[in-house]
Amino acid sequence: MIRTEHLSKSFGELKVLKDVTTRIKKGEIVSIIGPSGTGKSTLLRCLNLLEMPSSGRIYFNNVDLLAKTTNVPKIRQKMGMVFQSFNLYTHLSVLENLTIGPIKLLRKSKAEAELKALELLKLVGLAEKAASFPDELSGGQKQRVAIARCLAMEPGVMLFDEPTSALDPTMTSEVLAVIRRLAKEGMTMVIVTHEMEIARSISSRVFYMDEGIIYEEGTPQQIFENPQREKTREFINRVRRYYYQITSKDYDLYAMNAEIEAFCEKHLLSRKVCGNVLLLAEEILGLQRDFSDITLSLAYSEKDGRLEFVFESAGEPANPLEEGRQDDDLGIILIKSRCDSIQYKYENGKNILLLEVKG
Amino acid sequence: MSNKAYILVLISLVIILSAGCFGWDKNVTESTMLRGGKAFAAPASGNDNTKLKTLDDIADKRVGVYSGTVHDAFVAENYPQASILRYDSTADMILSLKSNKIDVAMLDYTSAKVVLKNKSNNDIDILTDDALSLPLGIGFNKNNPALREKFNNFLREIRADGTYDEMYNRWFEDDPEKAVMPEIDNTGAGQKVVLGVAVADLPYVAYMNGQYVGFDIEMIKRFAAHEGRPLEIITMEFSSLVAALASGKVDMIADGIAITEERSRQIDFSESYVDFKTAVIALKKNIAGYDDEQSDGAVAVPFLQNIADSFYNNLIHEKRYLLIVDGLKITAFISLIAAVLGTLLGALICLMRMSNNRVLVNIARFYISIMRGTPVLVLLMIIFYVVFASVNINPVISAIIAFGANFAAYVSEMFRTSIESVDRGQREAGIAGGFTKVQTFIYIVMPQALRHVLPVYKGEFISLIKMTSVVGYIAVQDLTKAGDIIRSRTFDAFFPLIMVAVLYFLVSWSLALALDYIGFKIDPKRKRRIRGHQI
Repeated sequence: MIRTEHLSKSFGELKVLKDVTTRIKKGEIVSIIGPSGTGKSTLLRCLNLLEMPSSGRIYFNNVDLLAKTTNVPKIRQKMGMVFQSFNLYTHLSVLENLTIGPIKLLRKSKAEAELKALELLKLVGLAEKAASFPDELSGGQKQRVAIARCLAMEPGVMLFDEPTSALDPTMTSEVLAVIRRLAKEGMTMVIVTHEMEIARSISSRVFYMDEGIIYEEGTPQQIFENPQREKTREFINRVRRYYYQITSKDYDLYAMNAEIEAFCEKHLLSRKVCGNVLLLAEEILGLQRDFSDITLSLAYSEKDGRLEFVFESAGEPANPLEEGRQDDDLGIILIKSRCDSIQYKYENGKNILLLEVKG
Repeated sequence: MSNKAYILVLISLVIILSAGCFGWDKNVTESTMLRGGKAFAAPASGNDNTKLKTLDDIADKRVGVYSGTVHDAFVAENYPQASILRYDSTADMILSLKSNKIDVAMLDYTSAKVVLKNKSNNDIDILTDDALSLPLGIGFNKNNPALREKFNNFLREIRADGTYDEMYNRWFEDDPEKAVMPEIDNTGAGQKVVLGVAVADLPYVAYMNGQYVGFDIEMIKRFAAHEGRPLEIITMEFSSLVAALASGKVDMIADGIAITEERSRQIDFSESYVDFKTAVIALKKNIAGYDDEQSDGAVAVPFLQNIADSFYNNLIHEKRYLLIVDGLKITAFISLIAAVLGTLLGALICLMRMSNNRVLVNIARFYISIMRGTPVLVLLMIIFYVVFASVNINPVISAIIAFGANFAAYVSEMFRTSIESVDRGQREAGIAGGFTKVQTFIYIVMPQALRHVLPVYKGEFISLIKMTSVVGYIAVQDLTKAGDIIRSRTFDAFFPLIMVAVLYFLVSWSLALALDYIGFKIDPKRKRRIRGHQI
């Protein structure tokens, strides 16, 4: 139904989409997930040419959207779009929001359009609000009206641009219920969302987007339970990262400690965990001799609460935690007492220590 | 605005009106007030030692003159110490004299006599009539010596056959106020002659009973009849007469115009048709020989009687209401057409300003900054005297073009900001919903922008109406000019000015109400209210 070939989009110097080629079939429900600023919304907005792609091709039902002869407005009538900010026409009542398109564009009679509109409003549970104005509705109600407005045009596909991002949890579930219902009725949908639950439960396919490309795609099971690639995994597990680079013996210990504390605070880690991390950093650095290239990193998974402490240092292979190398083993004992597990490996000229911090 | 607010405004207007009437209740109150103030403001002029005796006493005084007249140059040259205040109408000058804004006024001797005859001016007298005497002539365009020659021949003829003497007696010897303008048959069908006048006052040119009268008018009417050509008379500021003639807007000018060297450089004069004498007038109490008491002799007239009198004088007498009605029509006509033109042009400029074409954008920006950075009065005069200098264009059309062009600049920016104030998402929703750009604008953006624009538009429209009050500068007789003409006849500042102010207010108010009604019509909330009633 929708096909893109080598689709790219740049805003000035910034390349947002890089050579995206994909295909969405009729009846599919595709969720696009991924971190902010990786081109999810841009991809969606390119599909109906709300953003002009810098290069590439887009086909809708085998019509080339970028061909000069294509009547783009006509095609957009068949591609409903639901926005994060609802964008209901504020000067029109709910009913008029639903009928203006069919009357002006599909040349339906007013009576016919209103009949259909009321039916759709019933479908989204808002028939009694037909005469209200958008500013009288809650966010969830507005979004449901927006969905009904798209449906009034009898679209072949519906594009959802973060439909629930501006809503609180109760309102979100109102809207999700409507989207689920559409899914059951076989509507082709492309949904950009932060809502993992909806992506998982209703989509037939999930795109994980990162770095301007579809980084990984698959069924919800594949993506959510067995992601193949590193970034996907981190995203699914909601891993938050922190790095600190040391290049000389006279590194700024206090600045590093402050940053680690800030990271812990930001991700609501307990004082105890934070203390553990600070102690680990100090003790390991205490055992270190070569300070020319050290990277400290923290990886915290919001999903399962695991906190990994990774210590990389350049130099000859040497495990700083090997017993007997030091004058006293007090540091090593302290470190071990703060960790659930410790792994050591030597890769690419670097000693890598992987510690799982006790929670 | 709610109706309550309007009522409040009306009530305060009535209060101002009546307060003004009391204050203006002639000399009893006014002159005492003035004397009280004078002690602080200008001690020199009220003092006995400095009472005026001869012409030279004006050397260090404040002298009122008709702007652009020979008096202006005369005082500047002979009394460099005197401060000169320039006026565009006799009425303004007399009122300034009476309210002590000037110490003496210089004007034509015959006009001065007319002024003194008015009973409201019995506190004024002539200080001297021996100031400056100059021949008067009719002005002609330098490129039109034929017309001037014809006029000179005509002048010689009427001097020879006695018509001139008859006219002279009518307007200069007898009381010009009572003079009856003879009917002059003119069935001429040739090319029309356009005469420019300033309606300074009798005996030269005045406006009474809905027509132009005076010596100059009679003479030129006779001349036009003699030549068999229809005559058109248009009114403008005295100071604009020479410019209008030089730029070909009119064929001849007359209004007691003195023949001076400077003017002769720009225009040609006919042979002198009369010599004019200057009178220097002052308040009696400032002239040596008068007692202070004498000027306070007037008896207080009952308030209502006073109102009725001045209503009669300013409106009914000599059918002056016709002037007001015509002026009102002109003001409304110019305002409405300029607003329509300006709105259409403004929409076009706005379209250019918001287009993607950089050339168009820059043209629009340039236009907007020029129009907003130029006073509309200057623009008006540029359009009339410069742009259309060689084209015979109706001054009303010039005014419509000037105000329309000016209004367009404001309107386009108003449109732009209100269109931009419509949320971007609205446009996106329209586009994504399958509307074309134009359809999105018409069905979605415009209705919302219109609601933003109406209140500002209303304000700008009202200020346009008020701005049109300067069209008198290019010889358009609008409401303000009508008030000025009445004032030049009645020497009554209060009634004509307040009346004109009230009329402007009523025009603005009713038009604002009309716009409010439109605003109400397009307000979607209105439907909600109606719905509320139904339920």
